[in-house]
Amino acid sequence: MSAAELSIRGLRVGIAHRHGVDEIVRGVDLEVASGEKLGVVGESGSGKTLTMLSVLQLLPSPLAVLGGQVLLDGEDLMHADERRLRAVRGGEVAMVYQDPMSSLNPLLRVGTQIVEALRAHGVPVEAARARTREVLGQVGLPQPERIESSFPHELSGGMLQRVMIAMALSTSPKVLIADEPTTALDVTIQQQILDLVSALQAETSMAVIWVTHDLGVVARLVDRVAVMYAGRVVEQAPTRKLFARPTHPYTAALLASLPGPEIGHRKPLHQIGGTPPDPAHLSPGCPFRARCPYAIGRCAVEEPGLIDRGSGSVAACWREPELWES
Amino acid sequence: MRGSGGEPALSAHELVKHYPGGRNRPAVRALRGVSLDVRAGETYGIVGESGCGKSTLARLLVGLEPPTSGSVEIGGQPVDVGPKVDRRALARRIQLVFQDPFSSLDPRLRVEQALAEVLQVHGLHVERRDARVAELLDMVALGRRFADRYPHELSGGQAQRVAIARALAAEPQVLVLDEPTSALDVSVRAEIMNLLVRIQDELGLSYLFISHDLSMVRHISDDIAVMYLGLVVEAGRFDQVLDSPLHPYTRALADAVPVPDPEVEEARRDSSAPTAHSVFVEPAQGCPYSPRCPLVEPICREIAPVLLGTGDGHVVSCHVASRDFGAKLSA
Ligand SMILES: Nc1ncnc2c1ncn2[C@@H]1O[C@H](COP(=O)(O)OP(=O)(O)OP(=O)(O)O)[C@@H](O)[C@H]1O
Ligand SMILES: Nc1ncnc2c1ncn2[C@@H]1O[C@H](COP(=O)(O)OP(=O)(O)OP(=O)(O)O)[C@@H](O)[C@H]1O
Ligand code: SF4
Ligand SMILES: [Mg+2]
Ligand SMILES: [Mg+2]
Repeated sequence: MSAAELSIRGLRVGIAHRHGVDEIVRGVDLEVASGEKLGVVGESGSGKTLTMLSVLQLLPSPLAVLGGQVLLDGEDLMHADERRLRAVRGGEVAMVYQDPMSSLNPLLRVGTQIVEALRAHGVPVEAARARTREVLGQVGLPQPERIESSFPHELSGGMLQRVMIAMALSTSPKVLIADEPTTALDVTIQQQILDLVSALQAETSMAVIWVTHDLGVVARLVDRVAVMYAGRVVEQAPTRKLFARPTHPYTAALLASLPGPEIGHRKPLHQIGGTPPDPAHLSPGCPFRARCPYAIGRCAVEEPGLIDRGSGSVAACWREPELWES
Repeated sequence: MRGSGGEPALSAHELVKHYPGGRNRPAVRALRGVSLDVRAGETYGIVGESGCGKSTLARLLVGLEPPTSGSVEIGGQPVDVGPKVDRRALARRIQLVFQDPFSSLDPRLRVEQALAEVLQVHGLHVERRDARVAELLDMVALGRRFADRYPHELSGGQAQRVAIARALAAEPQVLVLDEPTSALDVSVRAEIMNLLVRIQDELGLSYLFISHDLSMVRHISDDIAVMYLGLVVEAGRFDQVLDSPLHPYTRALADAVPVPDPEVEEARRDSSAPTAHSVFVEPAQGCPYSPRCPLVEPICREIAPVLLGTGDGHVVSCHVASRDFGAKLSA
């Protein structure tokens, strides 16, 4: 395996207050090599967005990194100064935010914002304008001139997402982190974007982290998948392996929630029973225990760490899948 | 009982919406004549190209913006937009769950305040307002611990569920849902879909359900319309439209849905040439889909097709599809 382009080690994120700390992201390890595509899926509220925001130190207060490391090609970003971070953000590491409206300036035309971002990374103004036009075309936006001169509120949800993707790709980053970047795109345009990212990656060996709830997109795009639950990665595996033989009960339950052809029109869809735990007030043991059909005594006492499951996969579960039914 | 016939719960007549252009900017014809009827107690699904006017349609239906021309009726009564509109009465009849949940939640209000405000405005559950707020949070799978959060303290999927709870709080007759499940994991998505179906069956609500997620649109909708560039290009019963699509754009959609099976996707990737990242310029005349269409014929570049029926409620706006369908019938 080639060296990691970006690696997140033991990341903990939370809120410190008088009585102690509420930990929300509880020790996350993720790595992505150059030329590799990592998918991140998982429970809504499990800490995917907070993990990604931590990479570029963009957490809004009172949230803060409580511990851990972020290494970009070996360089420790947690101890980088503000000047270096500004160069990394939108330069070597580009991010597509889950909520485009909050990361764009509502008072500036979209084109101006992309041009300014490029200029901040030293691109001369004429070249920045040309590049802006080029990337807006690449993401399939019709009438790039109109899009450029529009304000964010004048664009549709999917147009904004494509603007964000165009902006992220404009500096040819080494690492692209995309947080739910295609939820507002119809599937034909989504396919175009996935193909574009794959093609650019083949060209530039960019490393990609793609956060999504769409397991179809995961199957189509990524090489490896990390599954998050209650502030931790609970399983990580090569894509084929994850779908064929999940080794964490949460992953298995998630896959079982996909609507199959056997479910009739308007009939109840499968869902995981019970409720997700409050990450700030976890009881001891495995956080999935209360919802897990395979829990044993030990699960209530001790939280499992990631355990090797062979063929490149790891899972945080005390029980081998072979024994689930017994 | 659902679909009891009679007056449509919501109808749009030839809705047109233009946004004026500006400094070196063309005007946008976001909607170009869209008509539809949502029957009482039923769900009308809308799918379509990104930027084809779905959210614009949603805003016109709930009276947030006036149409350039055309009209909207809720339960047979026209919706007027203007200073004299009784917003409060309108809000009891129709609610919109916005595509971007963060922009629709007041950043200064805690979740419970946002919900209680709706109950207060409409004088609902006066005696048991706190209990009702807790109920609403449970319904959207959030629970009480989210009651004192501000919107910026919520994840994307949590904010989406608060937005749904807020719309339900007003107990409207019609609910317009713009991408209501796009930020949810598959299990929570199932939970919200089950909730929507259940309350529709119990209370007879009517939904307009906009989504790019074809499996969910198919699951909940009775009727479906497919939009492209401000127009409906195909419509009919859910199974007609998605299982036997006639319009080439609908077929392209059905074919592009990514399947949650890496083996299928790999085979597909190896067999198909990667899609070119081409930009499609809107044609000055003819069929709006003609620049992308694999079936395009000379007539398509000349004359814009209109919606034509196939006899059983399934309509399509495509020269080739209508001709082939006619040929099949007479064969
Ligand atoms: N400022 C804050 N104060 C308290 N809790 C917060 C704050 N911001 C986020 N959280 C909580 O942290 C958890 C993780 O949030 P995050 O946005 O990372 O989730 P996510 O995995 O991206 O979810 P989604 O799939 O819904 O986008 C959530 O439960 C959220 O409610
Ligand atoms: N206030 C506005 N001023 C100018 N143009 C606008 C305005 N609002 C929307 N538009 C334009 O109208 C068209 C339709 O936008 P709309 O948001 O309705 O699309 P949509 O179908 O909801 O797309 P998506 O699936 O991407 O959310 C787009 O071209 C958009 O740029
Ligand atoms: S550790 Fe126990 S409770 Fe947790 S997922 Fe594994 S079997 Fe289930
Ligand atoms: Mg998120
Ligand atoms: Mg929209």
